[in-house]
Amino acid sequence: MKELNRRDFIKSTTATTASVVTIASGISLTTFAAEPPKESAPVTNEKRWGMLIDVNKLTESNIEDMVNACQEENGWGNEVHSKADQKPSWIKKVKVKDKATGKIDTLPMMCQHCEQPPCVDVCPTNASMKREDGIVLVDRHLCIGCRYCMMACPYGSRSFVHEDLNNQKTHMPRGKGTVEACTLCVHRVDKGGVPACAEAVDSEGVIFGDLYDANSKINQTLKKIQSTQIRADLNLNTGVRYSGI
Amino acid sequence: MKRLLTIFLAAMSIGISAQIHADHHIPNLGEKATEFKDEDKEAHKRPNMSHADSLIMQRKMHPELLLHKRDRTLRQGVRGGRASLEKCVDCHTSVDKDGEHIPVNAPEQFCSTCHQKVGTSIDCFSCHRTTPAEEM
Repeated sequence: MKELNRRDFIKSTTATTASVVTIASGISLTTFAAEPPKESAPVTNEKRWGMLIDVNKLTESNIEDMVNACQEENGWGNEVHSKADQKPSWIKKVKVKDKATGKIDTLPMMCQHCEQPPCVDVCPTNASMKREDGIVLVDRHLCIGCRYCMMACPYGSRSFVHEDLNNQKTHMPRGKGTVEACTLCVHRVDKGGVPACAEAVDSEGVIFGDLYDANSKINQTLKKIQSTQIRADLNLNTGVRYSGI
Repeated sequence: MKRLLTIFLAAMSIGISAQIHADHHIPNLGEKATEFKDEDKEAHKRPNMSHADSLIMQRKMHPELLLHKRDRTLRQGVRGGRASLEKCVDCHTSVDKDGEHIPVNAPEQFCSTCHQKVGTSIDCFSCHRTTPAEEM
């Protein structure tokens, strides 16, 4: 048990006071309709969101379900004017073959949400950014569409919007001239949910959770089984981990 | 001479009335917002401020309010609260005669009535949805 120092004590008492305020305003909310809904607190680095993908437990159709769920959730894949290599792909099905044995693995590939993301290093406008809780995002308000991040990403997981779009999802604005990638369904995660792709797979194949939380399923599974980061040699410390490859 | 003077005065008065009309140009508030107004509900009412002042504040400061919130939402994950472009669109879009929502940034719609007048060109809606979310 860590000894409580002065700083931690102040932090914890402030947190308690804040929660009391929340309860109090919740009561007033029922009395006065004009009271605006409470804002959630900013995310902190006490959490690090991650995903563990067990390739052996996923069939090819499982992976296709994951891709479809992502398209449905985030509204990409209906681009009509883009050529095949221009079309966005936030998540894709990748086949890797061991040349010696001929063993073929099929795995879902998306933004790996690195701790040291190369896309953030190269961005000239600070649009490519990492949230405190480890989710790597593109701030389209600042993105100028230079596509440096697409070149820097070792996983090829970013895409560029080549055409005018409309009827976007309310929770996922997308538009021509900006770069985009998997957001780990940040709009769901902030509400306590799980990403659409993880939800689409019923099996134990995809586990989403907080890597730092010792009680989380992902943390406990990662302690038990052999897992790997793709291109671990780059020392990016990815948030998405794989097992069975 | 008298006739000329009459024509001149008539032209002046038309000009003035047009001016007055332009100054009192009421923007197309949109379907839900108009209902809200007709029911005398106090939209955009801020605590410790009269409703009229709140509306002026909203009119003048909406870019700053949205800008502040957008960075907090995207970069810090702050969800909920007062300002949200989604809610703007929700109340301020109109419905055409077929019952379809008209994009809020289309000509003569809520955003463009004022923005055209003050010569502002905004770029919210090349990415953001221009109509309320479809009912699930």
